[in-house]
Amino acid sequence: MTDSAQEKLSSDAGSDLGPFLGFLILRLWLGIRALITGIEKFAGEKASEVAVVVDGEPNEYGLTSSDAEKVYGFGNYHGVPEALYEQLEGEPLIPGFALKLYDVALGPLLIITGLTLLLGIATRLSLFVMGVIYCSLTVGLILLSQDGGIAWLGIHVLLVAVALFYVRYNRCQLFAKKL
Amino acid sequence: MSEQTNIKRRDFLRTGSAAGAGLVLGAPAILRAETKNAPSDELRIGFIGCGKQHEVLFDAMKDIPGMRYVAVCDIMKTRLGGSASRIKSLFGDLPERYFDAEEMLSKEDLDAVFVATPDFWHAPHTVMALESGCHVYCEKMMSNTLEGARSMVRAMDDTGKLLQIGHQRRSNPRYLFVLDMLINGEKICGQIVNANGQWNRAVGSSQDISVKESILPDEQTLLKYGFDEGVKGKLSLEELRHRFLNWRTYKALSGGPISDLGAHQIDIFNWFLDAQPKSVMASGGRNYFKDREHFDNVMCVFDYDTPAGGARAFYQVLTTTSAGGGYYESFMGTDGTVEISERAAYTNIYRESGAERSWDELIQRGILRKVAAGEAAGGSDAVAAYESAPPDKFELPGGLSKPPHQPHIENFVASIRGDATLTCDGRHALESEAPIYWVNPAAENQEIIHFTDEHLHV
Repeated sequence: MTDSAQEKLSSDAGSDLGPFLGFLILRLWLGIRALITGIEKFAGEKASEVAVVVDGEPNEYGLTSSDAEKVYGFGNYHGVPEALYEQLEGEPLIPGFALKLYDVALGPLLIITGLTLLLGIATRLSLFVMGVIYCSLTVGLILLSQDGGIAWLGIHVLLVAVALFYVRYNRCQLFAKKL
Repeated sequence: MSEQTNIKRRDFLRTGSAAGAGLVLGAPAILRAETKNAPSDELRIGFIGCGKQHEVLFDAMKDIPGMRYVAVCDIMKTRLGGSASRIKSLFGDLPERYFDAEEMLSKEDLDAVFVATPDFWHAPHTVMALESGCHVYCEKMMSNTLEGARSMVRAMDDTGKLLQIGHQRRSNPRYLFVLDMLINGEKICGQIVNANGQWNRAVGSSQDISVKESILPDEQTLLKYGFDEGVKGKLSLEELRHRFLNWRTYKALSGGPISDLGAHQIDIFNWFLDAQPKSVMASGGRNYFKDREHFDNVMCVFDYDTPAGGARAFYQVLTTTSAGGGYYESFMGTDGTVEISERAAYTNIYRESGAERSWDELIQRGILRKVAAGEAAGGSDAVAAYESAPPDKFELPGGLSKPPHQPHIENFVASIRGDATLTCDGRHALESEAPIYWVNPAAENQEIIHFTDEHLHV
């Protein structure tokens, strides 16, 4: 392909609204997916007991029903879900210190990559890091033989790869356009 | 406790026996303290017995305000230290530690004492605590003998102090709601004709307890505290230690599974049916734990004349099987059945399909929640002519958000302060427990025991 042909293709691509919007929606989806997943790792429940209402008034016996309210806080943080963490602790291929480190880093990393992707900061690098995160999560699930989860993460990795392929249609970027 | 104390325990039982039944029959039960403490007053609490049941009680009371835990007593050093450390870690002050209950009661200025010792020590410890001026919360079964239980009621009456017995279901909001609101108020069961209860426990949960020997009391201590009770010859140290750890399996030290597990539930029969039984027939066997003195499985039937008419109650305690719904008490009537348990998961309520009254109104008022409509038994093995229309299933509108023993201890504390009435004072507890003392003899002798006042009253 000659230089002029390359320029023409690039110019056509740049003016094609469809691929641009397609990439934008993919970027949006991946960004939201990572950001909210990261935030949810700080979610917990604040349980409260309320008196059961009988005949329109709180009962006099002390019967209560549970009312759980969803709250966010650093105290609720679990990078790797507790049940999964316990299973991974028993895996000889995963050193304990690495699991702890991963547990601490996972939530913040998801939030950061989600935010950078949404804001258009270092889009290529953000997508790559996100892809690495999903690959790393896959390692744990392979060890635990959770085939459904592996396939689910595989779809995420594919979406990241597709986004990286179409990143040339990315127009809305704040910083580090070459990254 | 000294050797003298051991002799005292036996003397005390003889004296109690000589005093005879009915000595204080009709004396007013003391249900609340006469002197009202100011609400801000801290109650000075002591514990006699620091084993597993003590842990259950302490877990249930540590969040109750206005309590100061000043003394603990146990003959086992590790338990004593463990309890004291726990109190210090939660409340900051290290309680005084005693091996001897009498010494603790004489040296400490206590408002109330919690007794959680082996059954054969309940009566002596309770009586000495009442006589030293303390209110007492004593674990059930009141005593291993009816005479022991009677002596506790007498001491309660004589001293004017409160005695709460640890039938904690009596203060449980779920039980109170079911009895007051559903059974007596809305009469959802109609006429209760049958009751049924059980505690099914697996072999794995019924095994002998063993701990490393180095932490166990020595021979002299175990003899001082009467763990050779009921034995004429000399016991080896190993035998003594087995009796210390597994007192529940020895006749001279406990009432066996029917009193250990059954006492809670047979108490509910009597409470809910508002009657004492007329008779008991029973069967029991040592079919799995063949070396134990007590039966490992017991089944019994009580006959009642209730205010609503005749009724019977079947109860079984199994120590070899857990299947079959765990532990519950079921009250079966013409219109509905309430199957209640201390565990919400074992609690179910059913409406007979033929009941005239609709329960929709109860649902609207918040008294019940519907779980599922009855499912007709289908399939090729169902013979229509044999089948009753299936009952709808309901549940209570709420539960208990505290440890199950907490409301009972709260009731005890509020009664000491003069703000409440005991839900299970010694006299009522004895009258409810009395029939249980006769189950083992009925099974042992394979006879129906028809109850008289002598059997059932103080």
